[in-house]
Amino acid sequence: MKHDFEPKIVAFVCTWCTYAGADLAGTSRMQYPANVRVLKFPCTGRIDPVFILKAFQKGADGVLVSGCHPGDCHYMAGNFHARRRFAAFRKLLEFVGVDLARLEFSWVSAAEGGKWVEVVTDLTERIRTMGPLAEFKELETEEHWSGRLETAELKEAYNNI
Amino acid sequence: MNNTAQKHDATPLVAESYYAAVTDALRTEAARLLSEGVVTAVIGYKEGRRHGTAGPAIVVDPARANELIFSAACVNNLALYLTKAKKGVAGTGKIAIVAKGCDLRALAGLMAESQIRREDLHIIGVACAGVFGSGADRREPLSAGNLAGKCRECSVGAPEGADIVIGTLPPLPELSPVEAEELARLEAMTPAERWAFWKENFARCIRCFACRQVCPFCYCEQCLCDRNRPQAVETTPRPAGNMAWHIVRAMHLAGRCAGCAECERACPMDIPLNLLNRKMARELKELYGHEAGLTPVEKGPLVIYREDDDQSFIK
Repeated sequence: MKHDFEPKIVAFVCTWCTYAGADLAGTSRMQYPANVRVLKFPCTGRIDPVFILKAFQKGADGVLVSGCHPGDCHYMAGNFHARRRFAAFRKLLEFVGVDLARLEFSWVSAAEGGKWVEVVTDLTERIRTMGPLAEFKELETEEHWSGRLETAELKEAYNNI
Repeated sequence: MNNTAQKHDATPLVAESYYAAVTDALRTEAARLLSEGVVTAVIGYKEGRRHGTAGPAIVVDPARANELIFSAACVNNLALYLTKAKKGVAGTGKIAIVAKGCDLRALAGLMAESQIRREDLHIIGVACAGVFGSGADRREPLSAGNLAGKCRECSVGAPEGADIVIGTLPPLPELSPVEAEELARLEAMTPAERWAFWKENFARCIRCFACRQVCPFCYCEQCLCDRNRPQAVETTPRPAGNMAWHIVRAMHLAGRCAGCAECERACPMDIPLNLLNRKMARELKELYGHEAGLTPVEKGPLVIYREDDDQSFIK
């Protein structure tokens, strides 16, 4: 089916669970939207909030962060730390004015190929209805000067040169 | 503002004699500490060159202890001088530091993060009625009208846990919390309005990094935001990079910020940075019950975890 808008979705996943889960979805020949770009990390604890910010700035319409279920972390506690960090980061983004519907967190284990398909499909469809993320893209192209360049004084000075 | 309000606002919060008494006690204490060899240096405030201003001073000679002062112009958070601003101060013997309540919170935070050790410090707490806000006419006494925003909702006027506390505050009037009101106003906005608000504010940023340099908690040897290859945050003062910088700054201070609002004071572009800090402090209190206090908490809220932390936002 053809769509007017194909959202770009960046997925930050942990290598031990979600990446293996996505792999399982692939080897099981499950179909899911090709809008998702997967980036593999050692652990969700390695995923810095700055990565999410950068993804949005560089043109992602949605971001997915996914890793092992609590208690399943390969490094014992990486996802517990990530959980707190992202809980705080969500609040900060919300306060700055980012629509949190564009940011999704999930736990997908290596056995949950089906859940991966479901998470990616849901997020893609949601972002598709929301349309492109305009705010960060506008910001990226904007130039802004601390002083206003079109004031009467400056214009006069410019014309007197 | 009408005249009645101004008249009401200009009532001095504390008498001039209070500051004179505190200054006297401070000098005596500093001279005693230095001459008895208890400390090698006293970090405090001395009079600035312009009338009614004050700046940080480090006194090592007991004869010069009479340069120290305390007044409503003593805005700086001196905790900064124990970490990056004067590298090597730690380890030169015991240091005395003059601390208002909010500075004491920063000291507690730095102790918790193992940046300074309590046994290396002699904390001279001062009971503080508040400090001047930006743009205050320094010829006038401190009043509700020219008080800094953070001081209107201060809860640590009389510091606890210091080695000595100088001064006893007269009862102070209850003031309307301007920052909390502004926070509530922003929270009531739609996301798009908030985005517009912050976009406008961050667009003014010239990336002088005064907020980082003045922050006692931004003590990293190399800041993530100065790095290139890979570059996490654009370094040019363009809106995109500014937004990223301020989000990263707020995130890195979440759960650590002591609320001294030095970032906002140092900002030459008047960006309301303390709003971000306050917001994060409040969220972390709601989420994990953490609050920056006067006693060092070994591990901050984003360093520890509980297995039953809220995960309702995770699918």
